[in-house]
Amino acid sequence: MALLSESDANEVRKIFGSLERDVEIRAYTQRLECPTCQDTEMILRELDGLSDRIRLTILNFQTDREAAGKDGVERVPAIVVSDGTHSRVKFYGTPSGYEFSSLLTVIVDAGGSGKTLSEETLEFLDGLDKDLSLQVFVTPACPHCPSSAVLASRMALHSDRITSEVIEANEFQELSRRFRVQGVPRTVVNGQYYAEGALPEYMMVEALSRGLEEGPEGEKDLMDYIRTS
Amino acid sequence: MDLRTGLVGGNPGKGRTTDLVIAGGGPAALSASLYAARYSIDHVVLESYQPGGQAALTAWIENYPGMGRISGGDLAARMKEQAERWGGSFETATVTSTGLRDDLIEVKADSAVYLARFLIIATGAAPAKLGVPGEDRFYGRGVSYCATCDAPFFKGAHVMVVGGGDSAVKEGLHLSEFADRLTLVHRRDRFRAEPYLAEKLLSCDNCSVRWNTTVSAIEGEDGVEGVLLETPEGEERIDVDGVFIYVGRRPATEAFSGLVELNPDGTVKTRGIVGTSRSNVFAAGDVTDNELRQVVTAAADGARAASAVFNLMQ
Ligand SMILES: Cc1cc2nc3c(=O)[nH]c(=O)nc-3n(C[C@H](O)[C@H](O)[C@H](O)COP(=O)(O)OP(=O)(O)OC[C@H]3O[C@@H](n4cnc5c(N)ncnc54)[C@H](O)[C@@H]3O)c2cc1C
Repeated sequence: MALLSESDANEVRKIFGSLERDVEIRAYTQRLECPTCQDTEMILRELDGLSDRIRLTILNFQTDREAAGKDGVERVPAIVVSDGTHSRVKFYGTPSGYEFSSLLTVIVDAGGSGKTLSEETLEFLDGLDKDLSLQVFVTPACPHCPSSAVLASRMALHSDRITSEVIEANEFQELSRRFRVQGVPRTVVNGQYYAEGALPEYMMVEALSRGLEEGPEGEKDLMDYIRTS
Repeated sequence: MDLRTGLVGGNPGKGRTTDLVIAGGGPAALSASLYAARYSIDHVVLESYQPGGQAALTAWIENYPGMGRISGGDLAARMKEQAERWGGSFETATVTSTGLRDDLIEVKADSAVYLARFLIIATGAAPAKLGVPGEDRFYGRGVSYCATCDAPFFKGAHVMVVGGGDSAVKEGLHLSEFADRLTLVHRRDRFRAEPYLAEKLLSCDNCSVRWNTTVSAIEGEDGVEGVLLETPEGEERIDVDGVFIYVGRRPATEAFSGLVELNPDGTVKTRGIVGTSRSNVFAAGDVTDNELRQVVTAAADGARAASAVFNLMQ
């Protein structure tokens, strides 16, 4: 049985109708010790069937080591979304619940027809002289998570200085523990700064640029930069 | 499997001149947009995050007529879809201030400026803080205001809910399905919540209630480890892994304080149901001083506000 209902499939087909160019999706899964890999594969295969513009490749994390290394994939299930020229934008975990809408949005963005970022954000991204890694921890039932997930992904789609990982916190408990995630969304920047909760785009940009200016000084709440302003 | 199909957010705010700006994107705004669209009023909805508002922050809603039991996220998504189908337009923007420019209302957002003949304030409310030591420090480290977001982190844990209204009890019930033990702390000797919800919580196997009790501090090292309680018998410390706070809401009206009259509690002072101190500005939903704060009343206010704008435009 299909995971997407008939009406949902139609809606997604309509959404994908706006894709202006091909979108490459590379998924990494494995047979054993990955209870959510099969569902992830199924969801992606169904998406693949809804538009000629989607080019899905499913790779085996255990045997396609070279590709995984090139894509910088570290765990499964992983989904890499791009226009074919990079692998900066990743989703880790089953794209269910609200994460499904985040994935759809990022696919549409990668296909060139999606919503973009504000002028101020683009200016900030174009002026970056340091690399940023953004890890956004989410859960499928968290309504504010897509804002953070999509914002990080859009930044990474736009700038080759940025990589984004949207991580389903329940599926990667060890990683969540390492970053002490107990609430979502949580955005971790360069493994160091973090933002608790969803920040509106302009605040995130303001906090990031202040944080970069001051340079790293251990773990720090990005909101501190805004509070002290 | 639950798969949400809508796209996230709206277009980035670009700013323009329009007949109507609707500030906020919760049920009140979504209903106002649906009605405005059907009245053919040129308008834009400005929302900081995703449309849906507080309604999306609850696992289930079962008192919105006609919907049976539905997840808050689904209800919000349906409202947005319906408004969009009729021509409602959504932009991602945070309204930061409002004022007057000639005959128009100037709505300043983080990245753009809008000029409008009419404004509907529907920015709703955000969770109120408890205001105790440890609350800010442990936000995201065991302190939460969103059970549907964070419940999965507390599987098998001992979780505390603070509050005694509908949200506290309803979210407590949701949490009790994840947590091993749930303790609800309420400063009075009975619930304000609907009796139906209250009875459900009182008969829940892994739930217990501490009446006439308040939280005076949240403690821990890296994350929440316990709370200090002020009980009728004196001070007491108990071990908990998480604290979910539902002690009321703060209206989001900072951006409108110079434009319309506010009450001391920050809500918009209404005249009639959705009128304000200014004839071309209306307010709808949780942001107002209207008594009942629910999805159904927010939606009704939104409809009334759009209709009032339509009448003035005739
Ligand atoms: C945990 C919980 C459980 C609940 N359960 C129920 C229930 O079972 N049944 C029921 O009927 N009601 C329930 N409610 C209440 C219901 O959700 C609210 O009454 C309703 O959502 C109010 O709608 P609103 O549109 O007025 O405001 P909100 O829902 O608060 O929406 C306001 C929106 O405006 C946005 N916003 C705020 N400031 C700005 C700004 N400056 N610029 C741009 N956008 C802004 C916010 O991001 C938000 O999306 C519950 C509430 C909570 C918190």
